[in-house]
Amino acid sequence: MNQFEFTRRHMMALMGTAATAAMLPGVARADEGLKFWAPGIARVGEKDWSSMEAEAGIKLTPIAKSARADESIQKMVVGDGNALYDAMTDNGGGMEDALASQNAIVELDTSKIPNWSIIEKRYLEGGEAADTIRYEGKVFAVPYISNADALAFNHDVIGSEPDSWEVLFDDQFKGRAALQNDFGPTLTNTAIYLKQSGKQDIENPSDMTEAEVKGVCQFLIDKKKAGQFRTFWDGFQNGVDLLASEEVLVASCWEPIQIVAARKSGKDIRYGTMKEGHQTWNNIVMLTRGGRERGMDETFYKLVNLYLSPWFGARTLAALGFTPQMTGVLEYVDANPDLFDAATKATINDRLARKKERLAVAGNSWQNVFPTNMRAYQDWWSRVQAA
Amino acid sequence: MTAPTDIGLDGLPPVEPYRPTLRDRLSGWAFWIPIVFMVLFFALPMALTVVFSVFERTMFWMEPGFSLLAYENFFFSARLENFLASMGYSLISVVVSFCLGFPIAVFVRKSVPQAAQHRVVLLFILPFMVSEIIRIFALRPVLQRNGLVNETLLNLGLIDEPITALLYTHTGVIIGEVLSFMPFIVFAGFLAMEAVPKFIFEVCDDLGAGPVRRFTDVILPLAAPGIFAGAVFIFVNGIGVALIPNIMGGPGAVNAGLIATQAITALDFPLAMAVSAIMMATLMGLLYIGHRLFDLTKILAPMN
Repeated sequence: MNQFEFTRRHMMALMGTAATAAMLPGVARADEGLKFWAPGIARVGEKDWSSMEAEAGIKLTPIAKSARADESIQKMVVGDGNALYDAMTDNGGGMEDALASQNAIVELDTSKIPNWSIIEKRYLEGGEAADTIRYEGKVFAVPYISNADALAFNHDVIGSEPDSWEVLFDDQFKGRAALQNDFGPTLTNTAIYLKQSGKQDIENPSDMTEAEVKGVCQFLIDKKKAGQFRTFWDGFQNGVDLLASEEVLVASCWEPIQIVAARKSGKDIRYGTMKEGHQTWNNIVMLTRGGRERGMDETFYKLVNLYLSPWFGARTLAALGFTPQMTGVLEYVDANPDLFDAATKATINDRLARKKERLAVAGNSWQNVFPTNMRAYQDWWSRVQAA
Repeated sequence: MTAPTDIGLDGLPPVEPYRPTLRDRLSGWAFWIPIVFMVLFFALPMALTVVFSVFERTMFWMEPGFSLLAYENFFFSARLENFLASMGYSLISVVVSFCLGFPIAVFVRKSVPQAAQHRVVLLFILPFMVSEIIRIFALRPVLQRNGLVNETLLNLGLIDEPITALLYTHTGVIIGEVLSFMPFIVFAGFLAMEAVPKFIFEVCDDLGAGPVRRFTDVILPLAAPGIFAGAVFIFVNGIGVALIPNIMGGPGAVNAGLIATQAITALDFPLAMAVSAIMMATLMGLLYIGHRLFDLTKILAPMN
């Protein structure tokens, strides 16, 4: 055989294969997996994504993502995110509106998600969280975790079970209290406290007027000047260290921070239920326009179906303390005693009960990623920092 | 018989006209590489930063226009207060770093054998090979309420209560900046001390000049360009590196880097650009003053 002929024949074969693959982009792309832009908290099971891939029957190509809103906007609206990612996560209650309005994500067909039938009722039409996954009345996102952020406290030292944000601003914890260095949750939770305790008239703690923002920030400035706050924490590890090292005894923070701080320090650090209410929030999964163009719908629907399954809900609750987005978690745990030992089962029961209690508080307010008076929030937050 | 054509009038072969080789021609252009680099990766991005800072803010990005709103938002808000405060704390960090770091540079230059000097200086550069976030984070178990310093002092009976001023305070930020950036002054100081001939120390001793006079009248003037360069490094990092106030600072500890970061998080890109432009103008202003006062090129031209 002529060497040239051999090479040419093989080259033709290769070209043919490439052309076939090009004609079938969906098939070719499916082999690469769903390019999923998500943070580590979107994963349960093994340290990699293998448990979730096996359970959903899909292949994932995860790409690490932070929780910063500007990152999503820059990539998906201004940058080349649609070329890079098939699916992504972010905060509900604003980000889905922003991305859908910019044609960066696509509408979803919930009939292709079998577990949609067991999604928590608050997400259905008319539910209090319905808007956090919809844009102009159409579903653009699927929630995978949520929570009602509350107060973490060192029970070993303070010896009581606070049920009010009042302790965060109480003189007895002067210099031993911490807030989150983020105007969104910090101003919302403070506004909830001021509103429900009758200290300030606030219509909507998640979307305050300029005067309301000023009032809330003035309250924080006075407290800060009086030396109430040890620091404003920023980042997961920072929050954990503050509680674990007893630098602070009370802190408004995410529940996983309390869980890890308690585990790390061996101290009795607990998470309370605040009678005034909490900022409630969720994280959502979205299919990008690029993902649809590349034919990744089917893989995406398998992934979000997993996110709405008790398999995921039980695991994210047990490991990270996030609220499952579906019903049937306890039944699933009961039905699988080989997967959840008695201690884990007790933890799941306890956390779920406390979450239900927090979610039932009347003063809760859902997160608003882009409040109407964003500029006022920014400006007044810088004054809090400067005070 | 005719004279051979390759012999000149003076009886020597004519000199061939110089034809530069390709290498010669390329080496001429090579001198432009630093300028091209600086234009592409410094001047142009900086110019764009200024241009973007006057663009109009939109919901998610910005659009071409001319608006000074970002600057107004900076200069007529608490951000200016934050910026000036961070400049003040950075200045303190510079002074502390100088007091701790420059004597090390003098010591190395004066007392360490020539062959070992660079190795000793290398010791101070080694920490830079560890990620900054790790270096800063590692300070917390040392400085926190139940950290190494407090535990040691408590065990020795020197204090009754933990010292809480070491962390989550402005002092904590200054400690973080000094420990992070002091190698700049050691290194720049060492380079500057190369401009101080070693015999000067002996001359000073012979003339009976005390250590203070030797430092103020001899070492300081000769090493001034290097000291200034090191000081600018520390100062600019102090106002620009968001990590340190974030991890070591108290409630609302903030510097220009954090102001810009927070503006980006809030999708206020013109403001972030304006903060960057102001930081850059501050740096250029400092360098201009330093150059006029000390001729910064001297740092690279040791006398010996």
